[in-house]
Amino acid sequence: MRLVRGLGIGALALGLVAPFAGSPSRTQQRGLDLDSIARAIDEGSDHVSARQLAKWIRDRRPGLRVIDVRSPSEFHDDAIPTAENVPIDQLAKSRFAPDQTIVLYSQEGAHAGQAWVMLRSLGVTQAVFVPGGLADWREEVLSPLLPANASPMERARIAELSHYFGGSPRIGGEQEGEVAGAAQTGQRSRRRGC
Amino acid sequence: MRPPRPYAESHATGVCLGLVLLACFALTGQGLGASGAFASVASGVAVAVSPETAVHSAYFRSYLQDGSPWTAWLVVEIIGVLVGAAASAALAGRTRLTFVRAVRPSGGRLFTGVAGGMLMGVGAALARGCTSGLALSGGALLSVGAWIFMAALFLAGFLAAPLVRRLWP
Amino acid sequence: MNDLLIAGGIGVAFGWALECAGLGDPPKLAGQFYLRDFTVLKVMLSAMITAMLGVFWGGRLGMLDPGALYVPETYLLPQLVGGLVFGLGFVLSGLCPGTSCVALASGRIEGAATMLGLFAGVLLVGFAFPAIEPFYRSTPHGPLTLQRLTGLPYGVAVALVTMVAVSMLAWIAKREAAR
Repeated sequence: MRLVRGLGIGALALGLVAPFAGSPSRTQQRGLDLDSIARAIDEGSDHVSARQLAKWIRDRRPGLRVIDVRSPSEFHDDAIPTAENVPIDQLAKSRFAPDQTIVLYSQEGAHAGQAWVMLRSLGVTQAVFVPGGLADWREEVLSPLLPANASPMERARIAELSHYFGGSPRIGGEQEGEVAGAAQTGQRSRRRGC
Repeated sequence: MRPPRPYAESHATGVCLGLVLLACFALTGQGLGASGAFASVASGVAVAVSPETAVHSAYFRSYLQDGSPWTAWLVVEIIGVLVGAAASAALAGRTRLTFVRAVRPSGGRLFTGVAGGMLMGVGAALARGCTSGLALSGGALLSVGAWIFMAALFLAGFLAAPLVRRLWP
Repeated sequence: MNDLLIAGGIGVAFGWALECAGLGDPPKLAGQFYLRDFTVLKVMLSAMITAMLGVFWGGRLGMLDPGALYVPETYLLPQLVGGLVFGLGFVLSGLCPGTSCVALASGRIEGAATMLGLFAGVLLVGFAFPAIEPFYRSTPHGPLTLQRLTGLPYGVAVALVTMVAVSMLAWIAKREAAR
């Protein structure tokens, strides 16, 4: 079968050349672009709330990578689900593909913020960090306070998110500062089991 | 009735299927699927029949939390599959209308069909996918789980085949 | 809405291709497991190679981003057990979830029987879920790919998989020619 043989040869050729095609994720060495860093900090595009991260994890946002920048022993103690442990001293050597969404977190957020600036200086612009770190995760996602003045649907959603990660919400009367974080960029994620 | 045309050449059709999958990747960022459609519809049925038990099951909940389970992406896709297959069969004269042409499968065959379906439903639920979603789409993306699933699938199939030879003369 | 139009369109193409290949015919599919009919492997491997190479080269040419594609998560044990159970079901019914729809659409009532069974199986898992949830969530490895597992570069993994798959197809072709 001439056609089939042609297809086979074509496939083999494309496959065998693949290793020599170079890598798509080249981290460009740029200098410290202070302007764009300052702008990102100003706009708030440098961080996401723990709750927003929780939604991204639950919805299996494509290309999401959650990076824990603490030490391995802290990581083993407790970590955000799906997180990878890349201690801050190894961060510079890591490679990140351009369309991944990198979310950095640490215990309280300070180290993650510093890691963000570090990556930014290496030209990695697709990273954000969680300002309150693991503490925020526990507070906002695992045992969130269900605000009394929110709609039932909103409260159900917060509770659902908490349950998804094995937590349990606290019922209280206090008003919560933030609700349903930053707008979700990128495609609408579909519920899939495939 | 049109005389049935023979099936298309397998490798070429496979390449076409691969291109459809590729288009799916490019347009939606995800692969094809089938078992998920069944799970979605099943979740809809479960919630309609017994809302409390359905909500207690994290499995059903996961199909209910993003809008209606009846119009999930995969469900619409599977409806497309039905339409596309029907059209292709009709145009090629390969539609084998069971009751018109009286080529009725035996009760035994229908029973094993249901039994096989049940096993596949369980297997696909556990594996989070089936041959279309996990094996094909995951395999194209070099997912380890996809290859594990496929290897196990073929192993079980080849091992069980001699035992059910009578089904497939 | 756009999303769903794409879903429908892709589904139509998907179903069309499956039917053209004859994968709506249970004896044909079951024949794979008796090494009588290699259509299943030929179609699956060809499709997989095509899509895999398409994704890789599409990425290199900047037309799409492989890193943004959703890779199914690996759950070692559930997928192993799931695969075994699924394979058994496959050989009993001669259809899989997608092809059961193709069978029904081409007038085969066996397709409906398999679809019914599928619903029943999924409902079973759903209702029994609280009991099996620990097993279901065991051995997670996230979106693990061959290249992340082995440490090989993406291109090398693609080359290896292509070679294995094409070899299998060549073996099948030789075997069929010998008949």
